[in-house]
Amino acid sequence: MTSDGLEFAGHQFARASLDHCVKCTICETACPVAAVTPLFTGPKFVGPQAERFRNGESVDHSLDYCSSCGTCTLVCPQGVQIAELNSQARAVMKSDHMPVRDQLISRTTLMGMAMTPVAPLANAALHVKPIRTVVEKVFGIHRDAPMPTARTQTLHGWLKKRPAPKKAPTRGTVVFFHGCAGGYFEVETSKKSIEVLEHLGYRVIVPKQGCCGLAQQSNGLFDAATASVLQLCDDLRSAGKGLTIVSSSGSCTGMLKHEAHEIMGVTDDRLKDVAVRIRDMMEFLRDLHEAGELPTDFRPIEMTVPYHAPCQLKSQGMGQPAVEVLRLIPGLTVVESGATCCGIAGTYGLKKEKYEIAQAVGKPLFDMVKATNPDLALCDTETCRWQIAQSSGVPTEHPIWMIHRAYGLS
Amino acid sequence: MSRVVVIGAGIAGLTAAIRLARAGLAVTLVSKGVGGLQLSQGTVDVFGYDPVRVTHPLEALDVRAAADPKHPYASIGREAVESGVAYLADLVGPDLLVGDPAANLNLPTAVGAVRPTCLAQPSMLAGACVDGASFVIVGLRRLKDFPAHLIAANLARTVLPDGGRLQARHLVIDVPARDGEIDSSGLTYARAFDDPGFRKRFAAALLPLLTHGDSVGLPAVLGLHDLQAWRKLSDALGHPVFEIPLPPPAVPGLRLNETLLTAARTAGVRLVQGNRVVSARVTEGRVAAVTVAQAGAAREYPAEAFVLASGGFESGALAMDSYGTLTETIFGLPLAGQDAGELVHGDYWGAQQPLFAVGVGVEASMRPVDAAGAPVYPNLYAAGGILAGAYRWSEKSGEGIAVGSAVKAADAIVRELA
Repeated sequence: MTSDGLEFAGHQFARASLDHCVKCTICETACPVAAVTPLFTGPKFVGPQAERFRNGESVDHSLDYCSSCGTCTLVCPQGVQIAELNSQARAVMKSDHMPVRDQLISRTTLMGMAMTPVAPLANAALHVKPIRTVVEKVFGIHRDAPMPTARTQTLHGWLKKRPAPKKAPTRGTVVFFHGCAGGYFEVETSKKSIEVLEHLGYRVIVPKQGCCGLAQQSNGLFDAATASVLQLCDDLRSAGKGLTIVSSSGSCTGMLKHEAHEIMGVTDDRLKDVAVRIRDMMEFLRDLHEAGELPTDFRPIEMTVPYHAPCQLKSQGMGQPAVEVLRLIPGLTVVESGATCCGIAGTYGLKKEKYEIAQAVGKPLFDMVKATNPDLALCDTETCRWQIAQSSGVPTEHPIWMIHRAYGLS
Repeated sequence: MSRVVVIGAGIAGLTAAIRLARAGLAVTLVSKGVGGLQLSQGTVDVFGYDPVRVTHPLEALDVRAAADPKHPYASIGREAVESGVAYLADLVGPDLLVGDPAANLNLPTAVGAVRPTCLAQPSMLAGACVDGASFVIVGLRRLKDFPAHLIAANLARTVLPDGGRLQARHLVIDVPARDGEIDSSGLTYARAFDDPGFRKRFAAALLPLLTHGDSVGLPAVLGLHDLQAWRKLSDALGHPVFEIPLPPPAVPGLRLNETLLTAARTAGVRLVQGNRVVSARVTEGRVAAVTVAQAGAAREYPAEAFVLASGGFESGALAMDSYGTLTETIFGLPLAGQDAGELVHGDYWGAQQPLFAVGVGVEASMRPVDAAGAPVYPNLYAAGGILAGAYRWSEKSGEGIAVGSAVKAADAIVRELA
């Protein structure tokens, strides 16, 4: 163990929750990975059970097959931080042999910066089988794994060029956090979120912002991830004191709300300040509705659409705000997927040794999506959308697209 | 905004939430995680021992309620228990629960004891321990929680509740649930039994070992999602088949829990999982909101009425500190049953430990009361394991208390908010 992040891993409060485990096996029954492969012995086995035998080192290396979806922590009735314990133990286990691949795929911002100027080329290359085969052989990224589509314009490029919003703000100011994907790949989702917020009467500040470090965290690169998340906190705080931060990047929001603190032990006040102020986009709209402040003059949309709540959103413990808000649109029938996980879990499903497992995890979801509406699915987080779209063939959007349409903005 | 907030996702919380939502009220159900129902045997106990084996649970609970005003059944009453049990059976349907609340079934356990219960899953009925039955108990080599030899030997040496005897022998067969796994959980087997191909392989391995007249007792792993899997296996074997519940992961409990969760979603209950309720805000003598420790920042859930279905010590709803001080951890409610002498005594094989009958006392609408018997808050109700006065596991009264109190609390709220 070499760093603060790793020092924390395995010794701090996640470990203190260990003794709350009553071995009820509820986590084992909910784990989407253990359900489809015997290679992962299950969250209780490698977590609260194996933790008792760890003295720095892990005895059970099947731990590497945990996808860190967080379902085990969510379902635990005793408050044991199973996913956190497992993420920490894995970081320690991998610390002396971190694959180059894992270091590479966790650099989301870098990918966006490299791909945007050459977007058509990059997109074409990602669809060329021989290139993907070489990438799989050299880096261990599966040839069929979903990859983001590069855009010719970044969000900040659009912000600079667009005309000033037509409507004068009537509700005060919010800060928008788009995440790396929302800056480079999911640019439309960010634009639509900003336009909906402006339509509601908010002035939207979009400070220059970096990566939250989630992919680095889930790959066990705690030092780099801690530096990233604190830099991001500075970026977001620079927009103004006490302002609500709204984000259309569900998983990055989870990193800021709890994961950086609970998995890596970041106790910095800057993180605390951001964590209490940040809201997921659909959570923000749901809260407005609860307070009677959300206009519901939605245009009818006659459609049945499947909605999948991503693990990273569920683990924020706020129910399913997207479903509640979408159901306010007349004519729209929202069918909850009922699926635990799409399989991708950030970067897990990209890895060549885990690709098949991730596909098996997501299969019930892909089937459900295809059967419900072959033309459109909704899901709040980026990599999950890419996974669903790639594996089911059904175009998948952030729920805000539907709200944007229903307000007559598109 | 929801009009009612239910705390806890066990059988009491789910039943109350569904009944409230079906009555047209907007309901939020908050829970730390998955409720305890899926750890259960997937049957419904109403009253099993008092302290001798009970044959007619409804009659017995009436007698008990009259004799013991501190027992939960005294405030719940026979009518609410009957209505709660019928409501639950109707909610999940006859593919999942059958039986007559007027009479107990006697079913084998995973150590070969004979357990009284009231409603059971149809897949368990052929295991009724009655005079003249002939069982073959079939173990699976790779499933360690089902000691077939012990079960068969214990059943064969037991004088049954009806005074008769049954015959039982055992077999162990080896049909792997999935390749490369030598120690499979019951859940892995249950998923395999959902697959017609696996059932066919299993039947082919077992059939040659059976003899005419055998009823086949198997671990309760005969299908997770396919509620007819056991029937299809029975048809393939040409023998009656029955399931014996295992320790968790308990597949029959999972089936019940999944079905109730789906019913809750369908009824429009807002499910908020993953947070502990940490405190309550009281305004002018009424509960105005509860606070949950949500990721990022705490969040309040306001409502007009609240149902406390948070369980007991096992779920953290009740706590005892190192000084022996007992607390109800959300509202700080007064606790009944603390005056029963030494709450934990050293005779662990002897009399009941009075600690486990501590809980909240309630009035006829299921509102927690103070020492004088007055409701603590006019809009707070309690159901299930939090109620004082019962030793649920030895009486076998847990589910009866839960559904009876859930239905009674829900109906009182519907009347109040209508």
